[in-house]
Amino acid sequence: MSKPLKDHICEERLFSSIFRKYSKDLHDFLYYKFGNHLNPQDKMQEAFVKLWENCAKIPQTKAKSFLFTTANNLMLNEYAHQKVVLKHRKIIPKNSTNINPEFLLQEKEYKHKLEKAIAGLTEAQRVAFLMNRVEGKRFKEIAQLLDISTKAVEKRIYGALKKLRKDIDEL
Amino acid sequence: MNKEDLIQKWLDHNLSPTELEAFKQLEDYPSLIKLDQELTGFKADTTNEDEALEQVWQSINTIKKKPKRLLATLTKIAAMLVVCFGIYFYTTTLDTTSNTIASQQKSVILPDASQVQLNAMSTMTFNTSSWDDNRHLTLNGEAFFKVAKGKKFAVKTTMGTVTVLGTQFNVKQRNNFFEVICYEGKVGVTSEEKNTTLLPGDSFLIIDGKYIATEKENTQHPSWLDHKSTFKSIPYSKVIAEFERQYNVSIEYNTINTSQHFTGSFIHNDIEIALKSITLPLQLKYSKTDNIISLKRE
Repeated sequence: MSKPLKDHICEERLFSSIFRKYSKDLHDFLYYKFGNHLNPQDKMQEAFVKLWENCAKIPQTKAKSFLFTTANNLMLNEYAHQKVVLKHRKIIPKNSTNINPEFLLQEKEYKHKLEKAIAGLTEAQRVAFLMNRVEGKRFKEIAQLLDISTKAVEKRIYGALKKLRKDIDEL
Repeated sequence: MNKEDLIQKWLDHNLSPTELEAFKQLEDYPSLIKLDQELTGFKADTTNEDEALEQVWQSINTIKKKPKRLLATLTKIAAMLVVCFGIYFYTTTLDTTSNTIASQQKSVILPDASQVQLNAMSTMTFNTSSWDDNRHLTLNGEAFFKVAKGKKFAVKTTMGTVTVLGTQFNVKQRNNFFEVICYEGKVGVTSEEKNTTLLPGDSFLIIDGKYIATEKENTQHPSWLDHKSTFKSIPYSKVIAEFERQYNVSIEYNTINTSQHFTGSFIHNDIEIALKSITLPLQLKYSKTDNIISLKRE
């Protein structure tokens, strides 16, 4: 999209383009941070509705921060500090020809351990780590989304990896 | 390059081909790759972006409509209030008008309980809302007033103003005829011709711009309240005009001298007797067809 004429986002095309740019990242952020039971999809949409309601006040450059802060607050309003447990979707391995029962059991156990280990990460670690590993985002991109430094992202992700490996080994 | 840096670079998806080879040689490589593969199982749901955007627009539109509707209702309520207040202020500040047609009398009670009796074909206008501060009314015709005690009470006519404090008096203002008779208390009369104060029984009469001295009146109230018009040396044309008003007829009198004075009276409820009363003393004959009466010399 070319440089917008207006500095605010009350224009439908500009708003839609912002939606396309951030909706997935925002949803993922909410999902990794709060899990699925508070409905990140709804909160993400709600945040965009709020963005539209305040579109006259928010310059385009502030839209991302507004969205992430708003969605986060929406979540926190409902969030009762339960432990977030992300469910592992059981993926059937591609090379499933040589599956024996023992291997399957091992796999199941590993997944279970992973679930537990991820639940043991801090919120900040989990968000940064899963955005990096699952969504394939680079440190810099995550830093921009979360409004933190690249160094901090690096620390969180590396910390998360170390903790995960340690937990999996121990469990 | 040490192991930690390699893992960091791997995490950042930033390994160069040679570094990748070195990374693969790490003893941690298999467990890292395994972990990485399994982690993909935590992938967030991917939803249809267009669908989601559509939903956002929908909720934006439903939210947008609500305040609009609210605004519209508020506007309606406001408009109604404006109209109500408008009508209220208009009607309260509006003058009240009482009028009578020919051969009709009407009794009007003013806001301060003063009584007004309107004679036939008369109009009286006053303002109810400002009455307490300003007791004045406009009269066109003839009326008898019994004024409640209070502030200055003024009757404005085109030929003069009558002011009193609390009394009974009669005001008669017809074409070039202005008569005020005081029955009780004191009455002030202001007109172009003369300013005077009337005591009970005094009367004030102006006919065709001339002040005419009259005798003391000894009745308690004007005779027309008893459905009888009384005249003392009044030009005959004025008598005929009063007759026309009381019986709602028109009188033709081309051939007779209407400037001669008439003393006498006629009653309001029997036209034959009334006609005789005003014709016999002047030796006139009358003929009557429908509502037209012709007067002729005998």
